[in-house]
Amino acid sequence: MKEVKGDLQGDALVIKLSGRIDSGNAAQAEEEIQAIIAESGASSLIIDVQELEYISSAGLRILLRLKKNFDDLRVTGAKPEVFELLQLTGFTEIMSVERAYRQVSLEGCEVIGEGANGTVYRIDGDNVVKVYNDPEALEEIENEREVARLALILGVPTAIPYDVVRVGDSYGSVFELLDARSFSKILAEHPEKMDWCVQEYVDLLRRIHRIIVPKGKLPDMRKTAISWAKFTSDYLPEEAGRKLRHLIMDVPQDNHMIHGDYHTKNIQLIGDEVLLIDMDTLAVGHPVFELGSMYNAFVGFGDYDTEQTKRFMGIEREDAFAFWRKSLAAYLGTDDEEIIKSVEDKARIVGYTRLIRRSIRRGGLEDSFRKAEIDLWKKELLELLDKVDTLMFLPNEIKVDATIKNLNEVIAFLNGHLEKNGCPLKAQNEVQLAVEEIYANIAKYAYTQGTGEAVIRVEADRDSKGVTITFTDQGRPYNPLEREAPDVTLPASERQIGGLGIFLVRNIMDDMQYEYRDGSNILTIKKSW
Amino acid sequence: MNITKNLDGEKLTVAVSGRLDTMTAPELDEELKASLDGVQELVIDFTETEYISSAGLRVLLSAHKTMAKQGSMTVTGVNDIIMEIFEVTGFTEILTIE
Repeated sequence: MKEVKGDLQGDALVIKLSGRIDSGNAAQAEEEIQAIIAESGASSLIIDVQELEYISSAGLRILLRLKKNFDDLRVTGAKPEVFELLQLTGFTEIMSVERAYRQVSLEGCEVIGEGANGTVYRIDGDNVVKVYNDPEALEEIENEREVARLALILGVPTAIPYDVVRVGDSYGSVFELLDARSFSKILAEHPEKMDWCVQEYVDLLRRIHRIIVPKGKLPDMRKTAISWAKFTSDYLPEEAGRKLRHLIMDVPQDNHMIHGDYHTKNIQLIGDEVLLIDMDTLAVGHPVFELGSMYNAFVGFGDYDTEQTKRFMGIEREDAFAFWRKSLAAYLGTDDEEIIKSVEDKARIVGYTRLIRRSIRRGGLEDSFRKAEIDLWKKELLELLDKVDTLMFLPNEIKVDATIKNLNEVIAFLNGHLEKNGCPLKAQNEVQLAVEEIYANIAKYAYTQGTGEAVIRVEADRDSKGVTITFTDQGRPYNPLEREAPDVTLPASERQIGGLGIFLVRNIMDDMQYEYRDGSNILTIKKSW
Repeated sequence: MNITKNLDGEKLTVAVSGRLDTMTAPELDEELKASLDGVQELVIDFTETEYISSAGLRVLLSAHKTMAKQGSMTVTGVNDIIMEIFEVTGFTEILTIE
């Protein structure tokens, strides 16, 4: 059984096929189709196969012949079986074929998240749908799906979209997300959980920032930021505009991952697992770009429009500000107000550059409220440009999975601090050696089962004439100071292979202390120059 | 780290450039273990070596022990920073350094 129906929609003729088209009725179906086409005189053709159950090769040949007369032929609403057949036979390469999408209604659905490109609703106990603002979002959805897959493989806890649906005239991407609650919601309902949320939020952020992304897999945030700076600098005095462009161009290229929209609505708690949900802004770049967008979400957006934070983030402005400050302190591993403020200033430069551009592009200069907002951001930006000379910064500590593979990352972090403090070459070598020996020991011996983490903290003396480095791990208790020093006067044949590392550290560092506290090995070394 | 080998009869010269650390020392160790058969004179050229940690020292000690049984080993071109490490650990007493 088959049925052929035609319907003229604007310039396009839509022919609806239903039932089965096989060798028995294909010739008849083609005659009917040609008759409808001849009668309509239409110049473009859509074949709607929503109701089509089966199509044989005789039916497929009809499509091929139609394609010859209608170059822009589109086949729409293909059910999974039909789509698969069209894909196997290569038809999806020859003509445009769109799948059938399940329709989902959002009536009574709770909004659980909101990102730059869409809104996330809960559709039932197990599933959420992200509805895209752009009605032509199929490509965007495919891209986000790719990015989410990549992120998962690289170690970011995230939900993978498993289905695409229609929501009214928009497209939606469906994820499984059981009993999830966003950090915004937790903060709004349980303000006493602020410190816990900060800890988890920063842990995940640091984890993301440690991931090295294979070249070309994600957009380069530095390039994007340079384009913001070029746009925004046109609205600043010449000198300030030039400085802004230089500040951003001077940020080195970086192949570490950044999320790009890392705020508490995009972090979900599921059971005791923390998950990231909005992945379409994933990029590579220096963390200052991440901090810029975080500052905007928690503070910048609401600088003038003070109700904005509550509207968008679902938490009070003061709480959002406190959360931002605490997170920044934890991220940098310091409670030194001066350091926190100086990094915040850098983040604000990136943040305002983006906000000003965004608002102007959306016609903000033509609206008096938005214009006043832009003026405020501009004033703040000009003040910052006056006092900030670099967007680079160094956190005081890093946390890594304690593996030998991460040694280079640890040494690079250490060198950053040593160079910043003008450490002479000889001392730099000695400190590097000490850090390598201790780190390698932790990586090899601390965790007997699986791997754990190690935190390496570097603090420079106030006068930049020395450093204190602290290693913390949760491995088995081990006090290297109790280890007997090897006899370095023995001849080669009697020398032991091990024990040299710690011996070296003790000899080249000025001080070494160990303590075991609250389940952690804490080893501190000092060196002055 | 880069390793360049040059075999001239029973004399093997191994030039090491870059950093001889925890990450790279196992590579040099394997390279030496696979090449010392029949070698009577081993020269380890450190001219281009910038840095050494205990992992590198262990490789040198183990090569030294092997060579003590079958010939001799010399380390050449040692820079000041590495020489200091050799001194602290007593390696200056063990190794023949030129």
